[in-house]
Amino acid sequence: MDFELSQDHKVLRDSVRDFVEKEIKPIARRIDEEHMIPDELVAKMGQMGLLGSYLPEEYGGAGMDMLSYAIVVEEVSRACGSSGVLISAHTSLCSGPIYSFGSEAQKRKWLPALNSGQIIGCFLLTEPDAGSDCGAISTSFTRDGDHYVITGSKIFITNGGYRGTGVLFATSDKNLKHKGISAFIVDLTSPGVEILKNEQKLGIRGSYTTAFALDQVRVPAENLLGREGEGFKIAMDTLNGGRIGIASQALGIAQGAFERALAYSKERKQFGAPICDLQAIQFKLADMYARIETSRLITYKAAWLKAAGRSYILESALCKMMASEAATFVTKEALQIHGGYGYICDYEVERMFRDAKITEIYEGTNEVQRVIISKLLLG
Amino acid sequence: MKILVCIKQVPDMESRFKPDSAGVWFSETDLAFRMNEYDEYAVEQAVRLKEQLGGEPELTVLSIGPDRVVEAMKKALAMGCDRGVQVQDPSPHLKDPFQIASIIAAYAKDQQFDLVFTGLQSQDRGSAQVGVTVAELLNFACASTIIKFEYADGIVTVKRELEGGVKGIVKLKTPAVVTCQLGLNVPRYPTLPNIMKAKKKEILVIPVGDLLHEQPLAQTATFYAPAKKGTGVVLEGDVADQAERLIAILKEKTAVLR
Repeated sequence: MDFELSQDHKVLRDSVRDFVEKEIKPIARRIDEEHMIPDELVAKMGQMGLLGSYLPEEYGGAGMDMLSYAIVVEEVSRACGSSGVLISAHTSLCSGPIYSFGSEAQKRKWLPALNSGQIIGCFLLTEPDAGSDCGAISTSFTRDGDHYVITGSKIFITNGGYRGTGVLFATSDKNLKHKGISAFIVDLTSPGVEILKNEQKLGIRGSYTTAFALDQVRVPAENLLGREGEGFKIAMDTLNGGRIGIASQALGIAQGAFERALAYSKERKQFGAPICDLQAIQFKLADMYARIETSRLITYKAAWLKAAGRSYILESALCKMMASEAATFVTKEALQIHGGYGYICDYEVERMFRDAKITEIYEGTNEVQRVIISKLLLG
Repeated sequence: MKILVCIKQVPDMESRFKPDSAGVWFSETDLAFRMNEYDEYAVEQAVRLKEQLGGEPELTVLSIGPDRVVEAMKKALAMGCDRGVQVQDPSPHLKDPFQIASIIAAYAKDQQFDLVFTGLQSQDRGSAQVGVTVAELLNFACASTIIKFEYADGIVTVKRELEGGVKGIVKLKTPAVVTCQLGLNVPRYPTLPNIMKAKKKEILVIPVGDLLHEQPLAQTATFYAPAKKGTGVVLEGDVADQAERLIAILKEKTAVLR
């Protein structure tokens, strides 16, 4: 067993880290305050290849493995959780299923623009009455000649505000439950696609969370992803992979907050000595580090299993659950170590504290992760 | 045209350094390594020259050290170098700058390089001798501490940084060595696709024994952190009283007050 990153992974990590230090970290606070990731930054991330890390070179990706993808999302999220989730949702929820389930023609048509970042992707599954119970979606599709016609509504769509490419789920008959669901590749500039709003949120404020109304949206029949009725399977498989991305995002947020807390505990003096001399602070640091490091091990293992073509469903649920809980714990303790200053925006840990919470909720709540894990354990 | 870029892998300067058990260098356990900052300017300038000349020049990156230095070379390859040469040496830190330069010169002498780019100095040893010594051993022209580089028709024109903010413009005929200073350029980030392309580039490994035939001229005798100085005197208490005691000390121990 080798727990050391390969030289190629180290080169990748250091390159992304340098990029993030110079291009993202200095503007992370502004991204949060203005609720917007600057278009120039999205373009730069595209030029760096951060938006197509694990997709093959023949479709304009970088051709790296899942571990590289996890490293990219972690390093970016270390400075900015909003930018981290942009990459994660774009890559594993849009390009990912098109690559895994798309026809050769679909891959050639959609992936190059996604991998270069020219178009930003999203995943349209959740509806007002279908969250964790995603088999209950009611957005419907009917066939009309060489088109499908889709009507309904979608909410909480990460990256939706870019109106790029979406992998959208709809049902032919709600009574069929998950068996009636199909997946479509949709150009979100199509007539009938309306953005109702981009939500105001507790955290990851730079990331779009969008509500859509879909009114008789005509989608060419060739945009059906997989076969009719395969949508639920595609959604579940996609989310299994996506959890590695969210675990990496959570890990990055936790790591960023931990580094700030560690540094601050050495600088801040009270009672005539740095507060890191106090055992109360030392124990916090030990607990924070323990959760980050154990989450990282299971996240990297899940990425390794997926790349090796092995079953990784349990590990991806586990890493998402552990890393997100590490993130909320670590950011809370990082804020506490900063004391009153932690509550002030200038110190940035308050942003990380707010950004962390969503990782326990999206891509399957942690309660859903526990259902997945226990089901697999009980067979 | 053939171009050589010489790079060194150095510890991250944020590291905590401790002398090693032999007492002539720092302990490398638990250190994170990266490419010497000045060498990044050298790689960037070499890649820019290659681009200026339409990709024609062949760009070789050379590094001396154990297998970990391949990581720095892979970065240089991802930035745009064509091929790598690793001079395999488990203990480059025991070689003095003259020996390091001799190794590079021994490799370069039959290769017909037109230009050699090096960093001004390494961030860890900081001798600033290797680049200029390579030029001397190869009988190449040399300009050190460059902050601007131009090339046209076999003539290199560089701006050098001199003392007190003074600049100098120097023209050199190839073959030449230039040593690169902060301010020369902003090194590019290796992109993910280029990191992947770099994996396919050749890295030639040469044992250091094949190239090194020189004894050291300047060996490190000992290596230590300076002893902590006394902590000074802290005056406390009533301000007026502090001022009186300060005046007394200044009178007694200095020539400031008499």
